[in-house]
Amino acid sequence: MSSERAVTRDEGGEADEPTEKRDEAPTRERDDPVSTGAESVVRALENAGVSHLFGVQGGAIMPVYDALYDSSMRHVTMAHEQGAVHAADAYGIVSGDPGICMATSGPGATNLVTGIADADMDSDPVVALTGQVPTDFVGSDAFQETDTTGVTRPITKENYFATDADDVGDTVGEAFAMAKRGRQGPTLVDLPKDVTNADTDREPGRARTPDTYRPPETADETSVTAAADAFADADRPVILAGGGVIKANASDRLREFAKEHEVPVVTTMPGIGAFPEDHELSLKWAGMHGTGYANMALTMTDCMLAVGTRFDDRLTGGVETFAPDAEIIHVDIDPAEISKNVEADYGLVGDAKAVLAQLGAGVNRSPDAAEWREQVAEWKREYPLDYHIDEDGPVKPQFVVEAVDAATEDDTVVTTGVGQHQMWACQYWTYTEPRTWVSSHGLGTMGYGLPAAIGARFAADDEQSVVCFDGDGSFLMTCQELTVAVREELDITVFVLNNEFIGMVRQWQDGFFEGRRMASEYNWMPQFDVLAEAFGATGFRIDEYDEVEEVVESALDHDGPAVVDVHIDPEEDVFPMVPSGGDNGLFALQGDHL
Amino acid sequence: MSSDDSNEPPAEGLGGPAPEERPRPEGRRNSQGIRIDPEVEAERPPRRTTITALVQNQPGVLSKVSGLFSRRQYNIESLTVGTTQEPEWSRITVVVEEPEPNIDQIEKQLDKLVPVIHTRELDDDAVTRELVLVKLEAEEPDKVHAITEMYDGRTLDAGPRTITVELTGSERKIDDALDALRQFGVREIARTGQTALARGETKTSVVPDRLQP
Repeated sequence: MSSERAVTRDEGGEADEPTEKRDEAPTRERDDPVSTGAESVVRALENAGVSHLFGVQGGAIMPVYDALYDSSMRHVTMAHEQGAVHAADAYGIVSGDPGICMATSGPGATNLVTGIADADMDSDPVVALTGQVPTDFVGSDAFQETDTTGVTRPITKENYFATDADDVGDTVGEAFAMAKRGRQGPTLVDLPKDVTNADTDREPGRARTPDTYRPPETADETSVTAAADAFADADRPVILAGGGVIKANASDRLREFAKEHEVPVVTTMPGIGAFPEDHELSLKWAGMHGTGYANMALTMTDCMLAVGTRFDDRLTGGVETFAPDAEIIHVDIDPAEISKNVEADYGLVGDAKAVLAQLGAGVNRSPDAAEWREQVAEWKREYPLDYHIDEDGPVKPQFVVEAVDAATEDDTVVTTGVGQHQMWACQYWTYTEPRTWVSSHGLGTMGYGLPAAIGARFAADDEQSVVCFDGDGSFLMTCQELTVAVREELDITVFVLNNEFIGMVRQWQDGFFEGRRMASEYNWMPQFDVLAEAFGATGFRIDEYDEVEEVVESALDHDGPAVVDVHIDPEEDVFPMVPSGGDNGLFALQGDHL
Repeated sequence: MSSDDSNEPPAEGLGGPAPEERPRPEGRRNSQGIRIDPEVEAERPPRRTTITALVQNQPGVLSKVSGLFSRRQYNIESLTVGTTQEPEWSRITVVVEEPEPNIDQIEKQLDKLVPVIHTRELDDDAVTRELVLVKLEAEEPDKVHAITEMYDGRTLDAGPRTITVELTGSERKIDDALDALRQFGVREIARTGQTALARGETKTSVVPDRLQP
């Protein structure tokens, strides 16, 4: 593939096509000339089709904000830069196009760091634009100076320090193209104030990746043929669909392939939505808190077709016991992922959509796996996700997740923070569509949920509902972003599954630290429904089972931001569970001793 | 969901056979994720090798390369950087001691860095050299000269109190020379680390046409 096909809006391969999920048409190309570096930055974003930006003002980024004054792109002012980057991240997940965040130098930039690291771990397309002190001051420890490119180098796919007003627009375009093309990820452009203030009449060119960057497209045919034969010969085949399937817009192709060959499908957590969980071939997702039947299938398979996954330790448990009988066919766009954590017997390097097409053509007979499917079905009967209800006791969080799922459409976007509530939200909700599950996986960033719901709201279709499940600990970390939801009149519903614990830590303390609950008890929490009202949002509260249905309905029906403070059983734990580094096949169920 | 009069969790776990009663796989992997015969193979031992990378001269490229090694906990024995036949390129030569899967990973991770034009592991027959400067006590200058010449070295500075000599060669030869010189009293040592080119017609780095200057 030629470099001329690098990410542009008007040409390029399928993977480069913008996802048409914006609620506004892309900005028209403007015919007024640019006159400063800052205007060139803004023009580059407009030319790339950007419609929304999330950010916080500040001294060194002011010239860029000034140039935005004349742009039709919509800037969403967030309460905190971490909120801006999480919103951009979620925007990227739901829309498929890079989410853009902006911050000033120094603390503005360092406040982005958590969210950039989060996007890097999950390969989410994000572009961060940071102000910087004027070039002459760089290195002098000036006011609000931080070595932003130095700080973010290990957590960006690529970052840039702009040095010349004539080139700065092209640099921003390249950052956009790099975030989107190949294995997606965050990029950052550091913009010294003198560069953005300087005069230039250079119009930025098309957003394109550099010549040295060549993501693979299709996999080597010989390897595909060998892998296809191994797959067809399997007795106990399973497909493991990762987040890369969704990133590559390959869900449809994966579904066709799995259904044609009747192969059970397990997803990773980021892969949730790649395959409909209500389909009989779906085993939901695997890993530390994945379903028992998904973990049994991964443990006992003799041939795993793994697509767009990096075999994270929360998925594999101890690698010694991960799918130890399996030949692994690993499809990934990043060659460095092949055999990084788990050795691949067949490494197919390429775009997931393209390689699934190759495999679709290469596998000309289905594996003879009726017996295996029966075994998998038996595991589904033996190990259903389940929990106990005592109708007079405190509300179980799983019940609330099921109630919200029942009350919403299939295309509802769910965002979460990180912790127990996140696990329940992905265990007890039935996901059927890609880009409807928005969470922080690799980095595990508490506080992700609310700003992500804001970003997702701007990227989702107007008819789609956006729901956030949060924990009390997670919600407290970024709840100031409610002010944004109120100001922008965003229709989002936040369910705070409130157990007055930092619950996952409490669960581990009970299981692995002899119940010594150090610093995990959060019984000084505010009343979240009252807090919501203080922000100007609408608050609801649930204490009893018989309130659940009615309050869930009311909160969802409410037009505008709503927060439901759900007081759940504080002692409820997340099961199944594979202890860290453990054997997936030996998952513990509720009541088992950890 | 299952409803129950009591809120007591079940004694045997919720549903399904207990862990010890479940079907078990026959095989096993090692800690590097490689399928093994548990009775035969343990882990692959580390080996010492030279990796060469041709890179574009850009701000931060050395920081990217060194950051990659520290971030992923790879052991660098030495790392050298220098200019090449083209002013816009530099060559980075890294000697590492790592087990097999990591050497493969190092190459792939280096390849991912945008300014990296080409990277590879060099063959054992590659031409390799290292330079060392040794500052010694000048009490026995004649003997120092003799040993320096024995190792094809040169004396760069000789004063009343110190002698500084230069030696080049393979890492092994330099180690030997230093052992021989140590008896005269070493004040300071500076080693460059190994640099290398592939032998003969073999190209050290392959540059695609589109990246030719």
